[in-house]
Amino acid sequence: MVDIATIAFYLGVIAYSAAATLFFLDLARRDGTTSLALWAPRLLAIGGALHAVHVVTASMLSKVCPIDSLHFALSFTALIAVGAYLALRKRARLFALGAFIAPIALTFLVGAQFVGQGSEAVLGVSRTLLMFHIAANVLGVGLFLIAGAAGSIYLVQERRLRTKKHVASLGSRLPPLEALDQTTHRLLLAGFPLLTFGVVTGAVFNHQLTSGGSAEFLRSLLGYATWVMLGGVLVLRNVAGFRGRKAAYGTIAGVVCMLLVMLLYAVRQSAGASL
Amino acid sequence: MIVVVGLSHRTAPIAVREKLVLSAEGVPNFLRALVQHPEVGEALLVSTCNRVELVAAARAGADLTRVAEVCVAALAENAPVIATHLYSHTGGAAVRHLFRVAASLDSMVLGEPQILGQVKDAYEVARLAGTVGSVLHRTLPRAIRAAKRVRTETAIGNGQVSVPSIAVDLTRQIFGDLKGHHALLVGSGEMAEAVARLLKAAGATILVVGRTLSNAEALAAAVGGSARPWSALAQSITEADVVVTSTSAPHYVVEYDMVAAARRARRGRNQFFIDLAVPRDVDPRIEELDGEFLYNIDDLSKVVAETLSSRSREAASAEAIVGREAEGYDRWADAEQATPTIVALRAHISASLEAEMARSFRGKLKHLSAEDRAALSKMLESSVNRILHQPTIRLRQAALERASDTLSLEQLSAAVNELFAFDAETEADAVSSPENAVPAPEADADPASDDTSELAPRARVVASRH
Repeated sequence: MVDIATIAFYLGVIAYSAAATLFFLDLARRDGTTSLALWAPRLLAIGGALHAVHVVTASMLSKVCPIDSLHFALSFTALIAVGAYLALRKRARLFALGAFIAPIALTFLVGAQFVGQGSEAVLGVSRTLLMFHIAANVLGVGLFLIAGAAGSIYLVQERRLRTKKHVASLGSRLPPLEALDQTTHRLLLAGFPLLTFGVVTGAVFNHQLTSGGSAEFLRSLLGYATWVMLGGVLVLRNVAGFRGRKAAYGTIAGVVCMLLVMLLYAVRQSAGASL
Repeated sequence: MIVVVGLSHRTAPIAVREKLVLSAEGVPNFLRALVQHPEVGEALLVSTCNRVELVAAARAGADLTRVAEVCVAALAENAPVIATHLYSHTGGAAVRHLFRVAASLDSMVLGEPQILGQVKDAYEVARLAGTVGSVLHRTLPRAIRAAKRVRTETAIGNGQVSVPSIAVDLTRQIFGDLKGHHALLVGSGEMAEAVARLLKAAGATILVVGRTLSNAEALAAAVGGSARPWSALAQSITEADVVVTSTSAPHYVVEYDMVAAARRARRGRNQFFIDLAVPRDVDPRIEELDGEFLYNIDDLSKVVAETLSSRSREAASAEAIVGREAEGYDRWADAEQATPTIVALRAHISASLEAEMARSFRGKLKHLSAEDRAALSKMLESSVNRILHQPTIRLRQAALERASDTLSLEQLSAAVNELFAFDAETEADAVSSPENAVPAPEADADPASDDTSELAPRARVVASRH
């Protein structure tokens, strides 16, 4: 079992690395070769499959639920992002988004190896509620990661069309603006209820736990900021036609806050504190 | 080896090229008449708006220069004025030229995709006419393969090179699939009409607004849209995702305030303005508005120039591919020079063995059953193959290598002729003629040829001489 987990991890790293390289080469290519665009998502899918094998076997070994520790939660989040990207890429013409998703998946898969090895029991907190809290956050983060990547590409594509430079050379390799905008919006719509649940349950835990320090406060603050920003993007789109570039900036800002929350979790857990 | 004789946009103006326009029905007869000539073994004709080229293979032993002269005479027969504009390539130069033509390296618009289909059409017409033999059956598929490699391995065909195509390409970069999107055409004009047609073909709904409603209605009917009066301009701009303007107005027709109001009504949805008019129709300040994109005729022309420049940069890579493919062809052609000797040797040995076997079947072996006789024939045939395997390889190597320290093909052939007392040339006489044609390679067998059916016969397929 240990061998399977280790082999799956290393092969997954290789597949993600190769996929990330091919996605970037495809984005930067000048010639008409299409094999890069063909193999990059395949390798990403292979990486995702190996990643899943790693998560399952490693969690069985450590007897820890995949979402019960930051170690697996990070990994699982990346896996969800990969799965969502592969499911959406053809329908929403998000081919170029792979150049963002593959490195993110690689970073989370590898990075998760260097943080704490699982959560300790959290006193005074409902374990079931905690599991739902983590599951909702992991799923939401996976969706928001893609939304953030789509928003970033929107800004690149929009700037290129506005400045009228490299219009012919990059051409159709980047997704259409409308597809990026709609994808960002749909992912936010799908992820926001999960985020809301995570924020609400997080607030309950904060109230129950007595160990809240400045880091705890900052983490909560950033969590609320994420919720306000992403919720604001959705609301303003509805009431004031807040879309396109503005929506992309709002989404990216929210995703950055969300990543900072995760960073604080990681730092905190690697320092040995309980969740 | 082959010759290419013809004229193109590089050597003849359109006033000359149009004298060589041939009708489609006459091409097979023209080609059949040409291969009746004692020098010409095979022929096909490539005809496009920008070139007319005769590709011919010589009969065995015929002089290529003489074949070129015959082709020049055939083309210029009814239009002597073209004679001074004709060029001819022979041997390896002709092969390279044909490969470059198929790969669109000799086209007026570098990298244009139509020429490959036109070459395929010419090949098919000649094949059906029965004027393609072993040489062209080997040469044309290689030319087509080289062209496909150029298209797939370089960016020579990337991007659009006309203003209307660029405009539609940009529209797709903003909106993706155009189904369900509205395009507004303000004013008329050839280029605007071309853009509207392309947008319609891409799935957009077309609205036309003009100062004169009857003109707008006529234009709307031509492009498959619906017309509105000039008074509906502001409302139409609010509805439209793409606005194409091409009026002769001396001032801005689409003003900043009009677009700002439309933007509010559209609740921030992106809008693309294509201003094809000079002087400009659209106030350039609208670019300051979030979600509003504006390209005028200068912007579009710059994109065209960027594409052409990019294609020119790719031309070097494309030339290298064509060069390698032509070298491969040269090696094959060299190896083919050993074919007459190999054919003669095989025929001679097979004939001798068959004669001996027939005599034995009438004498000492007459008791053998039909099955035994068949088995014996099979065994002798295998023996011939085994005996000739090494000589065949040596002869082909000699044809390919031409090293000074080994026996040359000519020396080996002479030795074979001397030892077996036959004249190889007489036995292999019409190797390059339709009668001795090898079967045409199946298009489906070529993994890169799956787009054959997609190529529309855009060329004016030539056929009869004026």
